[in-house]
Amino acid sequence: MTKMTTLADLASARQAKIAAAGTELPAASYPMNELAQALHPASQHLVIEEVIDHGPAARSFVLAPDPSRGTSQLAPFQPGQYLSVRLRIGASYLTRPYAIRSTPKEAAAGHYVLTVKLVENGVATPYMWDHWQVGTPVTTSAPGGELFYEPLRDARQLVAIAGGSGITPFYSTAAAILDGSLDAELTILYGSRKADQVLLGEELATIAAKTPKVKLVNVLSEEERPGFAHGLIDAALIKRFAPAGDYSVFISGPTAMDRFVTKELAQLDLRPGRVRHELTGNTARPDHFAGYPLANADQTFSLTVHTRGQVVTIPARASESLLITLERGGIVAPAMCRSGVCSVCRSQLLDGTVFIPKELDHRRAADADFGYVNPCVTYPTSDLTLAVPVPDYALEFE
Amino acid sequence: MMADQYDVIVVGAGNGGLLAAATAAKLGKKVLVLEQHNLPGGAASSFVRGRFEFETALHELAAYGPKDNPQPVQQIFHWLGIDLEMHEIPGVYRYIITGEDGFDIALPNGREAVIAAIERAVPGSKAAVSTLFDYGEQCLAAIDMLQAGKSMAEIGQAYPVFVKYATRSYQEVMTELGIPKKAQQMLDAYWCYIGIPSDEFEFPYFAEMLVTYVEHGAYAPQKRSHQLTSALVKSIQEHGGKVWFNAEVEQILTKAGRATGVRVGGQEIRAKAVISNALPTTVFGKLLTEEAVPARARQLENARQRGTSGFLVYLGLNKSAEELGIKDYSVFISSTGDSREQFERQKTIADNDFMIMNCLNLAVPNCSPAGTAILYATQLYADGTWDQVQPGDYQAMKEEIARRVINEYEAATGITIHDAIEEIEIAAPATFARYMHTPNGDIYGYYGAPWDQTMGRLTTLGQDAQPLPHLFFCGGGSYMMDGYSSAYFSGYTVAKLACAQIDKEGESND
Repeated sequence: MTKMTTLADLASARQAKIAAAGTELPAASYPMNELAQALHPASQHLVIEEVIDHGPAARSFVLAPDPSRGTSQLAPFQPGQYLSVRLRIGASYLTRPYAIRSTPKEAAAGHYVLTVKLVENGVATPYMWDHWQVGTPVTTSAPGGELFYEPLRDARQLVAIAGGSGITPFYSTAAAILDGSLDAELTILYGSRKADQVLLGEELATIAAKTPKVKLVNVLSEEERPGFAHGLIDAALIKRFAPAGDYSVFISGPTAMDRFVTKELAQLDLRPGRVRHELTGNTARPDHFAGYPLANADQTFSLTVHTRGQVVTIPARASESLLITLERGGIVAPAMCRSGVCSVCRSQLLDGTVFIPKELDHRRAADADFGYVNPCVTYPTSDLTLAVPVPDYALEFE
Repeated sequence: MMADQYDVIVVGAGNGGLLAAATAAKLGKKVLVLEQHNLPGGAASSFVRGRFEFETALHELAAYGPKDNPQPVQQIFHWLGIDLEMHEIPGVYRYIITGEDGFDIALPNGREAVIAAIERAVPGSKAAVSTLFDYGEQCLAAIDMLQAGKSMAEIGQAYPVFVKYATRSYQEVMTELGIPKKAQQMLDAYWCYIGIPSDEFEFPYFAEMLVTYVEHGAYAPQKRSHQLTSALVKSIQEHGGKVWFNAEVEQILTKAGRATGVRVGGQEIRAKAVISNALPTTVFGKLLTEEAVPARARQLENARQRGTSGFLVYLGLNKSAEELGIKDYSVFISSTGDSREQFERQKTIADNDFMIMNCLNLAVPNCSPAGTAILYATQLYADGTWDQVQPGDYQAMKEEIARRVINEYEAATGITIHDAIEEIEIAAPATFARYMHTPNGDIYGYYGAPWDQTMGRLTTLGQDAQPLPHLFFCGGGSYMMDGYSSAYFSGYTVAKLACAQIDKEGESND
């Protein structure tokens, strides 16, 4: 390039550079965009390859990519992460987060396994029991969630505390330790009421038998049996089975268990960050949280929803989260964790008042200031108006 | 003909797009902002992990100034009705070069303090460094005149230094002034904010940037960048504008060679002007039909090089900055003090050892709970450096580089942080591609080749401001380089340009 000594020289050097360039159009995508797409696709189009029964109330669904709908590879994940499954049930569009029970190695080989417990009187699981068969198309999000071992942050010794189907993220963790892809040691404390309610008990026992890095303790609260611990997962029990030295505790299960275990753990004086939770949508009714302002949660308000210039008004039960209200109202609301953590459902409250349980309020500070809420953990306490950012995957529900 | 639903549609709610939309709305225009992500800001955002809310991108906001002496960014914010709690960042930076002929220098705020600190480290540098600051002050004033629309002749008369050195490199001018090499290195750490090594970084801009930070200070918001961007969204809405999130523009519509609107979610929306915060690469490669892209725009695009991407490690520590012994907001670290060498090494994953570590608590004392601290490390990687990384290797690779960055910081400063990590998140080029949809995870727009820095871009602004009629660009792909204040200025200026054109054409149509 010629030496530029004046602005006029600079201008002509610039014009010469531009004039010498070709007229082909830039590419629409680049390697980092492809990598981001492989890691975090907006949607994964899958198909059910196998259904496995675990007694009358639990099933595993083996999912494979569905190239006919544009997914040829499964996104990799960290053991402990979940998929948000998208369901269209009647007029409702809803999502459910389910931890991936299989391993990252199996995902690389083309399978995710979701193991689901049937929730009597539930919405999603009875639908899945009725409709999900071999060959059924299923659409999910990319893997998400924070309940995974991060070597720069967590102790290498993990204590996993699970209740009910909350065992699935730890099954994946245990299996990844066994197959050598995860370098950590795991003690699972798995609470169930009775022995026949233990999910994946034999399979977990098989993993534990094969590697000294995985220890399994089944804890029964309503039954005494040889080979099982008895009682609740309290501080004494955790202390009894926790390894010597530094360890991290991961908790996955229903709110009641999570609250109880969290309270018990406070007695053990672990350093901040050593206890990590995932609620995967299992949050309690709003009037079960401290500070609930209404005398009666069994009333109904009116919710006006703004979506891309459209306005609709739907009824909003005080006892239900705004996300459930939106889903009930046939609005495609974005959602992932359903526990107030991921902020995917972030929406703008234009008018009205709400209750957000303090322990579920993980919003950005400015969002709280400027009137944005996560509908999944927000409950109406008046008539209200909400602007909801309907996602582009709105039509990708099955 | 179908009526226009909006005066201005802004594609992308990055800093430039938000400012453009806020400006147009403030000027009374009907505005719609379309953002593909569910948050405003692009890179300028925040995220929560556990007890911490992390700053994603901002190192130091320039041209803001104190309340009693507001600089241009604060003036624009006030005009838009925005008044935020901002904190002045203490000190300019600490710069540690660990290799041969290395140094460890902390530059305090203020011109005379910086000159004195460098004189202590490099005796005999004082006079030349003082002249550098004189020149920088003139360049700053000249660029203000340029922003105000003054002619080059007028500017040349008032500030001849600006015109004399307009096309020379920062390093070349420092050498001409007789600044010793080591002192030059101490004064060129800011190359990384724009991603151009000092031997080809245009003098006026670099000198102006140095003076701005040293003499007018730098600022950080109380509640991370998300507070700035949320305030801008609020301003847009208060002036009647609309902001749609999760709304990725599929196409920019044209008719007879002019931009006429966009298609989003299958819906066509008309506007008198479209301002794109998305880079021209994206607009020309994805959003316009092939025949709508003029030859000149294609050639400009093809003549340019893509800018850099970033690698960031966000750390929530369970000890306070005081307990850890951290005394500096910004620490720049490398084994070599030569910015050209630092720049070349960011083209490799293995050898890139230039990093910045920020401790937000030094600037924003209550940004995390008592007894904790927020740190974040930044590295730049040149376009293409990560291209061969496979999905299955990505996580392990991020971990490895994060570990290296933490080790490098600990070795250079003697401060131990690895055993205090309560939260960690790692962002790599694919992270930026994921959240911003920029080509190859670019964060800086185009690389500033000597012919394609701010001076060069200004020389053809008249020709390139609207690659096709009624389509404008703001942000890092516009006439300024990357950075918050530059994005704000470009958004502001381009919106005014677009609004003036709408008004003029409105009159001629009447």
